[in-house]
Amino acid sequence: MADKNVLVLGGGIAGLSAARKLADFDIGVQLIEKSAFLGGHGIQFSCKATDKCVKCGACVVEETLENVVRHPKINVLLNTQTQKITRSDGQFSVTLQKNPAYIDPEKCTGCGLCFEKCPAHGAISRGFSKSNLPFYAISEKNCLFMKDKSCSLCQDTCPEEAITLDQKRTDHVCETDAIIVATGFEAFNPESKPYGYNVFDNVITSLELERTLRQESIVSRPSDNKPPEKIAFIQCVGSRDAKLGHLWCSKICCGSSLRMAKLIRSRQPETEMAFFYMDVQTFGKDFQVFYETVQDDIRMIRAIPGDIFRTETDRLRMAFLDNSTHEILEEIFDLVVLSVGITPGKDTKELADQLHLAVSDSGFLSPSENGIFTAGTALGPMSIAETISNAGNAVWETLKYLRI
Amino acid sequence: MGNVEIFKNLKMKKVTPLTEKTLVIGNGPQARCIAEELLAKDADLIVASEENAFVLPFPEKTEILTGVKIRSCEGSVGNFNLTLDKDGEKVSRIVENVIIAEEAVRKPNFSLYGLTPCANVISLSQLKESLSDDSRPFFKNKKFVFLTGLAKESNAVILEEIMRASLKLQSEFHAKTYILTKNLKVAGHGLELLYRRTKEAGAVYIKFTESQPEIHQQEDDGPVILTFTDDITGEQFRLTPDITVADETISPPENTSDLAAIFGLDTDPHGFLQSDNVHRISVLTNRKGIMVAGPSRDIQSPGEEITDTGNLALSIFKPSDERETASAYKAQINPRLCSGCLTCYSVCPYNAILPDTTASVMPDACEQCGVCAAVCLSRAITIKGLTYIEISDHIEKNTPQKKETFTPFLLAFCCKRSAARAHELASCMGHKLPPGLKIIEVPCAGGVSHYHIFLALRNNADGVLVLTCHEGNCHSERGNLYAHEQLNMIGSFLEIAGFEKERLLIKPLASNMSKEFAEITNTFEKKILDLGPSRFKMKKQDFSFLT
Ligand SMILES: Cc1cc2nc3c(=O)[nH]c(=O)nc-3n(C[C@H](O)[C@H](O)[C@H](O)COP(=O)(O)OP(=O)(O)OC[C@H]3O[C@@H](n4cnc5c(N)ncnc54)[C@H](O)[C@@H]3O)c2cc1C
Ligand code: SF4
Ligand code: SF4
Repeated sequence: MADKNVLVLGGGIAGLSAARKLADFDIGVQLIEKSAFLGGHGIQFSCKATDKCVKCGACVVEETLENVVRHPKINVLLNTQTQKITRSDGQFSVTLQKNPAYIDPEKCTGCGLCFEKCPAHGAISRGFSKSNLPFYAISEKNCLFMKDKSCSLCQDTCPEEAITLDQKRTDHVCETDAIIVATGFEAFNPESKPYGYNVFDNVITSLELERTLRQESIVSRPSDNKPPEKIAFIQCVGSRDAKLGHLWCSKICCGSSLRMAKLIRSRQPETEMAFFYMDVQTFGKDFQVFYETVQDDIRMIRAIPGDIFRTETDRLRMAFLDNSTHEILEEIFDLVVLSVGITPGKDTKELADQLHLAVSDSGFLSPSENGIFTAGTALGPMSIAETISNAGNAVWETLKYLRI
Repeated sequence: MGNVEIFKNLKMKKVTPLTEKTLVIGNGPQARCIAEELLAKDADLIVASEENAFVLPFPEKTEILTGVKIRSCEGSVGNFNLTLDKDGEKVSRIVENVIIAEEAVRKPNFSLYGLTPCANVISLSQLKESLSDDSRPFFKNKKFVFLTGLAKESNAVILEEIMRASLKLQSEFHAKTYILTKNLKVAGHGLELLYRRTKEAGAVYIKFTESQPEIHQQEDDGPVILTFTDDITGEQFRLTPDITVADETISPPENTSDLAAIFGLDTDPHGFLQSDNVHRISVLTNRKGIMVAGPSRDIQSPGEEITDTGNLALSIFKPSDERETASAYKAQINPRLCSGCLTCYSVCPYNAILPDTTASVMPDACEQCGVCAAVCLSRAITIKGLTYIEISDHIEKNTPQKKETFTPFLLAFCCKRSAARAHELASCMGHKLPPGLKIIEVPCAGGVSHYHIFLALRNNADGVLVLTCHEGNCHSERGNLYAHEQLNMIGSFLEIAGFEKERLLIKPLASNMSKEFAEITNTFEKKILDLGPSRFKMKKQDFSFLT
């Protein structure tokens, strides 16, 4: 079984667990990640345990990532994308384009001086896990050196001399026996909805709330850093939406948002919470109990609100149809969280063309076999647990294909 | 002789698999799917079922045991010794792995809706069966009401079946369908689309939020009348269906609780054969070498049997990792010290203890959590990383120099899966941590015993923290709960002796909680600053029980 080689595209939990399982069978893995950090969406999530674990799965991503970066059979290429893929005699030849990392992971100690000193907003970003190596990354879009070479502060201050700004993009060709596509999803961008996202500071997405809870452990209003007194969650933003042609339930947002709402209630008990929804989906093995108790803490309102307006005192006003009185009610909140759905990744089409894969009506990849396999949310909405099982099965199909 | 030496001298026999046989328990589509897949890779299989005949033909090359009841299972992965009853006779088999893959049980929810089954009140399964044989003219132009998720929450598997049935009734029998529910469970592949198609074909969905429909069945086999108020318009409605279809509760297979007891498996709140723990994704259990698949482990949607089968195959064929099997890392029991109380046997989360006049450890099953060592009153059990000498060395090396101003020396026993990772992340994120904080990484908080705590206190720790996984997230299932018990007990002893029990603190913490790690440790430091330096004193001779 020696000397087989598999290329895994995408370093989210699907790609990570696939890589790990392949490596367990002594297969060499090239793990290709487009962004500067491994872990995909899952690594950005907060643990939502109050006193007990609520089985959101976020910590599993953390654990898998750690196992992957330590594994001798897995070679990680960050900032890398596929350019061209050709196939002959059962072998794939993949041309990869790798953007420089600028920060040498071997030298970087994660001290964070570069992050502190950088004058350009957004030019240096920070990882989410200590298994993100290096822990900092330089964004070409915002870095002043990349723009006009006017600044090299980070390079000059780094005590480890880990930063080299003057680097070029490189092309690599790699031969592989099989490919697993695990390129994940794109969280819906709610700018097109009438909720004032990117207009009002205090309208945020559930993904942003996940990150905030992970990093800050509590939530405050972006506009004034004050703890919100009233928070509204709006569900199904970008999902189950015929106007958008999104005829799918994203499956994970009811669970993720309700668990976050409960977490906030336990850490900031003064906060009033309202949850606007169409239908609450069953998640987790203990849903019945969770759902019964959640209603003690959170006002469940079966309505999808209309437009959101900003009040003079910088709060948010919205209207919705009240079910018990059948009247339109107005209510004011301090923070609105839009539970954004899972949508197909931006480069799905391009990737499908490169790999000759089919795309479903909803725009996700269709399952594939025969040398190129698919795993995770690139195929459609899945939770972390489902993604891991799905990736496991893709690995088994790959092993069968490789005759191992 | 110190325990460490014993640990060095004691050679454990490494149990190598005596067989590569796999036992599959089940008699349905899931078991067959597994058997076919494993056989294609030349696995050596035994398929067993309590039923007398197999519902589905099984491939050749398989040893088939019908009408057997499993009585007991001893041993560990690679060497499970099973006793089965076949026609009153005892049969035994030795296998490497066991796979439990039975089929689910469906219970119609008639009584939850106050209904009695009859010709016009049927269950979803009855309807499905009728629909699968194509000559049911009496469905023509009939009015169907589906009741689902009204009395208790339902799921996407049931809704999908209802919607498919509805579509068939609409398209083939021109029937009219009404679906009454609370929450429409569309969280399944393609279900939102299916929902819209049924609606376009004329299905009417009525959703209830706080109210419920009033359901009346005139006499026991009489027609059903439903009355309700529409949530949105507030209008009153009355429905008189020809056929009322009650949804079903999907439960674990009948023999699940017996199998759980025989194999020492944890179950979830519904009794499925897998604890509700994220570390068991997807077919794993608390026991190495025992896997569960399909309806034995959870409510499954169509297609999932294949996914489970793939994951099972990975576990079965995975080459073993040398580190995992090296017995030097496993718990070691010194038979000369063991009193035979078998406390270890009752607490081991992985069933790795072999009970006899003295206990011994089955190294292949041991996952090095240290729970057994922590509870052993005879101190007969040692485990690498948690021995008295190792911990003591570690503490001594880390004891800070006395400073002019009081800087509390805080020792935190951190679970390697959660709190130790959170500590690393906290350092990465640049959170300020107490200067006198030292970390001792342990395989599981359940392995922290009173010896360790006393060691910490004797070595001048001003405060001792035990940081565990959250309840329900412990890899060793209950290690964190044992740690709680230990710490509470020590706390009350110390209190009686006049020592501040506030110097001990136990908290749950996940691997991704860096900010919380900083908060907990800083708050604890403040508390210890208020209490001042520890006055804990133990004379050498008081301490002899530790060495
Ligand atoms: C707000 C929100 C909250 C959620 N909360 C939960 C929760 O609590 N519990 C739960 O179980 N699930 C939750 N989910 C779902 C969870 O995010 C997914 O199940 C999981 O992230 C899927 O993993 P993945 O690897 O398929 O995709 P991703 O996480 O999207 O990872 C894909 C990776 O591939 C990379 N990539 C993309 N294209 C390319 C390319 N062309 N070449 C190379 N690399 C590429 C991406 O950069 C990314 O790193 C949530 C989702 C959202 C949006
Ligand atoms: S709540 Fe989520 S992140 Fe926290 S311990 Fe449980 S599964 Fe892990
Ligand atoms: S999971 Fe809940 S919020 Fe998300 S799309 Fe489905 S119904 Fe809407």
